[in-house]
Amino acid sequence: MSALGILGRFAAMLVLLLVNGVVLIYMLRKVLGRLHLRIGPNRVGPFGLLQTTNDVIKLLTKEDLRPDSADAWLFNIAPYLIFVPSFMAYIPLVFGPTLAVTNLDTGLLLAFALTSLVPLGVLMAGWSSNSKWSLIGGMRAAGLQIAYEVPLLLSALGPVMMAGSLDPARIVAAQSGVWLGFIPRWFVIPQILAFVVYAIASQAETQQTPFDMSEAESELITGFANEYGGMRFGFMYLAEFSNTFIVSAIGTMLFFGGWQLPWVATPAWLAPFVFIAKTYTGIFVMMWARGSLPRFRVDQMLSFCWKVLIPVSLAWVVVWACVQRLWPVVAMAVSR
Amino acid sequence: MWGSGILKGFAITMRNMFRGPITVMYPEQKLTLPERARWAVAPRYDAEGRPKCTACLICVNECPDHVLNLEVSKSEDGAKHIDRYVYEVGACMMCGLCVEACPFDAIEMSHEYELATRDHGDLVRVLLRDVDAASTRRAKGGDDA
Ligand code: SF4
Ligand code: SF4
Repeated sequence: MSALGILGRFAAMLVLLLVNGVVLIYMLRKVLGRLHLRIGPNRVGPFGLLQTTNDVIKLLTKEDLRPDSADAWLFNIAPYLIFVPSFMAYIPLVFGPTLAVTNLDTGLLLAFALTSLVPLGVLMAGWSSNSKWSLIGGMRAAGLQIAYEVPLLLSALGPVMMAGSLDPARIVAAQSGVWLGFIPRWFVIPQILAFVVYAIASQAETQQTPFDMSEAESELITGFANEYGGMRFGFMYLAEFSNTFIVSAIGTMLFFGGWQLPWVATPAWLAPFVFIAKTYTGIFVMMWARGSLPRFRVDQMLSFCWKVLIPVSLAWVVVWACVQRLWPVVAMAVSR
Repeated sequence: MWGSGILKGFAITMRNMFRGPITVMYPEQKLTLPERARWAVAPRYDAEGRPKCTACLICVNECPDHVLNLEVSKSEDGAKHIDRYVYEVGACMMCGLCVEACPFDAIEMSHEYELATRDHGDLVRVLLRDVDAASTRRAKGGDDA
């Protein structure tokens, strides 16, 4: 790949990330508003559409403050440490049969590896702010995200076993066609348990209500981010929304056939739209959860993860491995 | 069942979504106030447009916040004249005790609720200025008019 090609791809990723950020923030406000019988933004521009753009301008032009007692070096790089992995995680996404930033045999692993770097930045931001609320937020984020990483990865193993590959393109390709003539071959159907675990863990991974103790508006006032202002805060905010997009996109690829329409063959030009539509549906469900559930306590959250989610997903991996191994034998015996 | 509460929560918010917003877009749309809503105190006038206040000062004494004040002078024949009826709307708690206490039905709790002002001075209002107080007998429907 030429240097220009690489730059072009990076530019496309950046544009996608920024557009996602702006659209998702607007969508979040509208969806939460409607779920709570409100209207949401409605003053700036038609239907309040320009609200987010105005917010971006506000963040860009704000003074860049740093507390005197903050650890300057860590404080300055933490937002980028949060932002860069979530930017890089666009690399393994497959938008269509030929449309992806690059094809990686271990793309899925890369995506999970990158998203698991985020807690590091969060912890760094919390520590370097030198404020107890930030520190509490950072510690909670680290504890929570590291804990939820485990079920997240385990739940991805089911579809990976079914597709026999860690390459997202091949996982998606394995979901084409139908079972028994009418059920789309989406992995969500046999892997429903894994999907539920994935949905819960990804909600926690992106620090959204009901698992947003690291931000905890009511007690910590955005926790780890509360000493940040201006565009540094903007980066963290943007990363949060781009992470939401990424977990939803990965979920779409793992469980809902990626860019493929059910039953009919998907033309190449339609594929990215199908993929984005599915991803946004996933995001809508995440926002729906966000607007419906109150925040858990930290201890409830951790014990739920270690005592329920991890055992369940571990057991599922074992069960599914056995099923997958034994199925051909059983099928053969039956057909004989 | 464990988790049914969560599902119920989801159902409620989804129902809300389809119900649509209940927001009233305030400056453009306004709700009609219930009849007995209590907002700023306002004087009442009789059929000929004269204030019904007799300057008996009962309301002034009744107000728990001491926000009403009447400046009254007497002419030689003993008739009362209201120089100023001052009302500090900014400190009024809209309790309505003054209206209840007034024996002549001369003030009311109006429905004027947009009370924000740009000038602190506007929070002190002069309800009546330089008018003759209604005589007690006339106000009671007497025959001296
Ligand atoms: S409504 Fe209550 S507080 Fe206001 S003037 Fe009347 S008595 Fe005083
Ligand atoms: S408003 Fe009523 S209570 Fe107050 S001075 Fe006038 S007549 Fe008396």
